[in-house]
Amino acid sequence: MLALTFETFRQLTVDGFFRGCSYGLLGVGFALILGVTGRFHFAYGFLYTLAAYLAFTFAFRVNWPFWLSAAIGVVLASVGGSLIEARVYRPLARNAGPTALLAVFVAALGIGIAGENAIRLLWGANTQSFYGPTKEPYTVWDAIFINFDVWQAASGITITLALAAMLRYTALGRRIKATRANPDLARTIGIDSDRVYVIVFFLGTFCASVAAIWYALKYTVDPAMGTLPVTYAFVTAFLGGTQRSPIRVFSMGIVVALIEQYSSIWLEVRYTQTAVFVVLVLYLTYLAIKSSAWTARFSRPRIARA
Amino acid sequence: MSLWINYFVQILLYGALALSLNLLLGYAGQVSVAHAAFGAIGGYTMAYTSLEHGWNFLLGTLLGMAIAFVLGTLVALPALKLSVEYLILLTLGVSSVILGLLVAYPSFGGTYGLISLPAPNLFGWHLRRPEDWVLPALVAVAIVYVICHRIGESPMGRVLKGLREDPVATSALGKNVFAYKVSIFGLTSALAAFAGAMLAAWLRLATPGVYGFAFSLTIVAMVIFGGIGNLAGTMLGATIVVLLEPVLRRVIKIEAAKASFVQLIIYGVALAVLMRLRPQGALPEGFSLWRWLRGDRAPKTRVEMTAEWVPTIVQQTTDRPDTDLPVAVQERHERTWHEAPVVLRTTGVSKRFGGIVAASELEIELRKGTITALVGPNGAGKTTVFNLLTGAIVPDTGSILLNGEELVGLDPHQVARKGMVRTFQDVRLFNRLTCLQNVMLAVQHQPGETFTALAVPNGRVKQAEAETKAKALDWLRFVGMAEFADIPAAALSYGQTKLMSLARVLATEADVLLLDEPASGIDTKWVDTMLELIEQVRDQGRTVCVVEHNLHVVGRLADHTYFMELGQITAQGTIAELTNTPRLAEVYFGT
Repeated sequence: MLALTFETFRQLTVDGFFRGCSYGLLGVGFALILGVTGRFHFAYGFLYTLAAYLAFTFAFRVNWPFWLSAAIGVVLASVGGSLIEARVYRPLARNAGPTALLAVFVAALGIGIAGENAIRLLWGANTQSFYGPTKEPYTVWDAIFINFDVWQAASGITITLALAAMLRYTALGRRIKATRANPDLARTIGIDSDRVYVIVFFLGTFCASVAAIWYALKYTVDPAMGTLPVTYAFVTAFLGGTQRSPIRVFSMGIVVALIEQYSSIWLEVRYTQTAVFVVLVLYLTYLAIKSSAWTARFSRPRIARA
Repeated sequence: MSLWINYFVQILLYGALALSLNLLLGYAGQVSVAHAAFGAIGGYTMAYTSLEHGWNFLLGTLLGMAIAFVLGTLVALPALKLSVEYLILLTLGVSSVILGLLVAYPSFGGTYGLISLPAPNLFGWHLRRPEDWVLPALVAVAIVYVICHRIGESPMGRVLKGLREDPVATSALGKNVFAYKVSIFGLTSALAAFAGAMLAAWLRLATPGVYGFAFSLTIVAMVIFGGIGNLAGTMLGATIVVLLEPVLRRVIKIEAAKASFVQLIIYGVALAVLMRLRPQGALPEGFSLWRWLRGDRAPKTRVEMTAEWVPTIVQQTTDRPDTDLPVAVQERHERTWHEAPVVLRTTGVSKRFGGIVAASELEIELRKGTITALVGPNGAGKTTVFNLLTGAIVPDTGSILLNGEELVGLDPHQVARKGMVRTFQDVRLFNRLTCLQNVMLAVQHQPGETFTALAVPNGRVKQAEAETKAKALDWLRFVGMAEFADIPAAALSYGQTKLMSLARVLATEADVLLLDEPASGIDTKWVDTMLELIEQVRDQGRTVCVVEHNLHVVGRLADHTYFMELGQITAQGTIAELTNTPRLAEVYFGT
């Protein structure tokens, strides 16, 4: 199993990079939402699936041009994200007060599972194939990839850089960062944090929806397609840091995908997914140990006797 | 008929798993999404040992419980310091690892799982027909219910609720938050494994699908629908959730293929709607079906509160003239302070956070039966002193001796047990507990807070609980809040919460009380009440240290005053001496 050729290594690296662009984009969107609003948005995966299904419907049921349909799917799903915030999470959080996080988490879980099954009911439980532009393979550096991979990477990097620039240089970006740092304080200086939350949900869902279109093009669409990506989004967002720059989170997506790819060198393929979660659990354990109460447990202060 | 028997058994076994989740989520407030995965550990261990090694299913169940207990304990170790969102993520990760390994490991049958298990043999009785399962399932759920009820509705349950509401405050009252969190995780994981194994024995299979994400959601739905923190509610929730499927199929006549989707849509929407309209679930915490049936229907949740309400004790004290104390009294204060024996002494206590010096070479003495005040401008580090004294922050250097015993290096709960407790500037009451429960939680040495005492039927626990209640009521009466005993703390006004927090530290019967701004932010007409109470506490021979801004308060209470600036003690003496020092007057007193 350790018979690793340089060729395999290159292919794994290239695969990991492209896959990582998808994880990265998902993570950027989720980190933005969780970092700014504090909502544990489990319905993220449902909106991911919804974007792909809407694009599918306009392209293959209404027969509109593919790229137009994809754009409509992405925008509608993003609006859906904003609506969930405005109509479900916000009133819920107001009502629940200190237990808002749990209430939002449970409601999001509910919306996620209801949405996924509504898709099954409306579009059928089966996998649907998704034909867009023609698939073209490339071979560079002896590794094979396709045009969708390139577009996915390009769009992921573009969106991430645009988000980072927006956060840094625009008035909206400053409002978002102020809300992220302290929503109550932001409100007192005249920032409408409700509006910021809605915008953040739109932007976050936009990231997920774009990733969903590339996934659908590369593979197929099915009602459960959001389950795994949402988990990767969580992992990437937390490892990257939900309060950190989108660029850092995006890079973490690539790291996660590379860990997953490289672990197949030592592990059988069926264990590689688990490997990512092992890394996650170890990281969280490390965080816990790093925090003060634990370190204090292991390093007693020297006592100066008078 | 046998179909309905199957639904009945399903309600019981799902209910057993949901009960243990409720103990963890509802009582202890630990949001875990790994519960179904611990159920899977029980199910797979039982299935594997009975298929491959011919073990009796009970033996396999026990092994599964042991494995789940160990794993659950290990998961809880890092969970100690993690906030809720990290805990959700951690349990999600653990759940994915467990389920991922079960699917990936070849001996566990991959995605097909372990199927065609032999009929379980219960002491020679082979459970083959659906009706055979009614009694064993009833016994199984009864065991889980009794354990969860015994723990949840005991003094230990009260500590768990404290953990849920505010771990810092719970720890400051002398409860070992770490040990409780770890053991409740371990215990509920083992119970989940037990229920999971029973489920596998009943289905005669253990597959990834049985314990998958939909199952996990179903269990959460049961707990939420029924009511978080209410065990009877969980069984009600299990009944609703399980019976939804046949009702949809038979009564509304939705075709079988679609019924399961519609069922999940209903769960999902209902969860979201319920969180909005009735977050407490069908049966709220503290609601007892038994009491309700006996006609005791309206537990008092609100005292008629008028704007004029003042604590009962005020009526006895308001005739006292409200003037500054004459200088002669202050000198007497100072004399008694110097004569009183030292209870607490800090030497050279320092703490830096990066480049910021939070405390530098602190030399503080607290003396028996006196009140010491700590004054100084905002940001001087007064609250940091309390954090250092109580172990919430570990000093870089120095020593803190309480009655000659070193406190440095002890955890907050250990410091509290040595007899020094604090209040918090932001009060930190347990909002969803009643006032009485808030104070009862503070009482020390309750036998009902240990697993060993709860393990057997124990008259001592019951008797001690009655004594605890009586003590707590006494302290509520002392601060004039007895009529609020059954009111949740969240309903109190700010001034009332301050009185409650005093009652809470008094109930610990600690000798040294550290009071963080006891009179700030409360109505002026209550200030005297509060001061009167603190003086009474001092006269009982307890040692008090107050952090306070209000000079009227300090002037009346303090036998000795320390002045703090930028983490250092820069002056001490009577308040009169301090206010007469021109430099200090300029820095702080602003005259």
